[in-house]
Amino acid sequence: MKKIIATLALLVLVAGTAMAQDELSFERKQAIDSLALEKVRDLSKYIKIVGSKETAWSEANRVIDRAEELFMSNAEIGVSSISSNKIKYFKVRPYFEHLMRLNYDRVEIEWYNIEYVSDLQRQPDGTYVGVITIFQTFRGYNKEGQLEYKDTTKKDITVYVKRKETQIGGRMIGFWDVLLGDMRVKETANK
Amino acid sequence: MKNKITTVLLVLLAAFVTLGGTSSCNSKKKAAKAAAEAEYKARVAEAVRDLTAILDDETAWTLEEKEHRVQTIKDWNLQNAEVDDLLFQVEKKLARERAQAAQRAEEERRAAEEAAKAQQPKNVLEKNFASIANAGSIAQANRLINETLQLFSSNDVPVLIIISQAGGFNDYDRPTTIENYLNYLKDQKVNRNNVHELKFNDNGKITEVELIKR
Repeated sequence: MKKIIATLALLVLVAGTAMAQDELSFERKQAIDSLALEKVRDLSKYIKIVGSKETAWSEANRVIDRAEELFMSNAEIGVSSISSNKIKYFKVRPYFEHLMRLNYDRVEIEWYNIEYVSDLQRQPDGTYVGVITIFQTFRGYNKEGQLEYKDTTKKDITVYVKRKETQIGGRMIGFWDVLLGDMRVKETANK
Repeated sequence: MKNKITTVLLVLLAAFVTLGGTSSCNSKKKAAKAAAEAEYKARVAEAVRDLTAILDDETAWTLEEKEHRVQTIKDWNLQNAEVDDLLFQVEKKLARERAQAAQRAEEERRAAEEAAKAQQPKNVLEKNFASIANAGSIAQANRLINETLQLFSSNDVPVLIIISQAGGFNDYDRPTTIENYLNYLKDQKVNRNNVHELKFNDNGKITEVELIKR
C-alpha cells in the first residue's frame, strides 16, 4: 500500500512539474505568437522577391533556399486560378521555381490581412500548432504593361512551433523553432 | 663779550640747522605723497582702462588672463567708486563667460564621447544593420554586407535572437549565421532587432552575436 501511495505521489509530482514547464506565461506565449506571424511575413517578402522579374537568378535561388528553411520538409503550397476550379499543390522549391517561370513580363504580389484564424494550441507532444490566414493579390502584366491576369486568394497556413535546443559556443541554447506547414487555398476571386 | 657773541652764533646756527632740517623733511613727505597720489591715479586709470576694455571685449586676453587681471586690480584695493562699479560689472561678465566655457567644454566632451561610442563595434554593427535594411539597391546592400562581414571571424558566426526575456530567462528564435542574417536584412528591408551582446576573439573579430527584439 505504501509503495502504491509513494508511486502515485511521484506521478503527481512529475505530472505537476511537467505541467508547470508546459504552461507558458502570457508574455512568452505572445512572443512566440508574434514570431510565427513574423515568419509568415518573411515568407510574403520572399515570394515577392522571387516573383519579381527584376530579381537576378542567383538572388532568387538564394532567397528560395531561405524560404525553404521556413517550411516543414513535406509542406505543400496550393496554387489556384480563376480560370480553373482545380488547385495545384507544389512542394516548396517547385512552387518557387514555378513562380520564377510565370509567363508575365511583370508580376506584383502583395500579402495583407495576415492574422491568426486559429491560435497556437499546445499539442500532447509539446508542439504548438495554429493557423494563420493571409490574403494574396496577384497581378501579371504583359510586355506592353497591360494587366493580363489578376486574382485575390485567401490562403491558410498551418504553423508549428516547437521548443528545441542546440549547442552554441559550448552552451545549450533553448529556442522556438517555427516551421510552416501546408499553405491551403481557401478562396480565389477575380478582384 | 666774545663769549656772548660765540653763544649767539651757536644759538643761531642751531636754529638754522633745526629750521632747515624741518623744511627738508616736509618737502620729502610732500614729494612722497605726490608720488603716491600719482601712482594711485595711474593705477586707477590703468584699472579703468583694462576693466572697460574687458567689458567692451576689446582685449585679446583669454578668460584666464582676464580673471588674473581682475584679481590683480582687486588686490590693489583702490577703493575707487568707478573702479568698484567696473569690477562688479566685469566679474558678472566673466562669470557668464566662465559658465559658457564650461557648457562648451561639456558639449565638446559629450561630442567626443559620442564619436568614441560610434566607433565601438556594437554601434558600428547597429549602424550597418540599419544601412543594409535601408539600402537603395541590392548592389549597395551587398557592398555593405561584405564590409560588415569583415568585422566577423567567419561568415558562419552564430547569431542568436532573443524574442522574450519574460520569467527571467531568454527565449530565442532559431539561431542563424551572420551571413544569412545580413541577407535577411537585405531581403526583408527591416531591422527589427538591437544588438544585445557581442563576443570577440583575440584578433578583435566578432565570434558570436546576440540580438534582441525591439
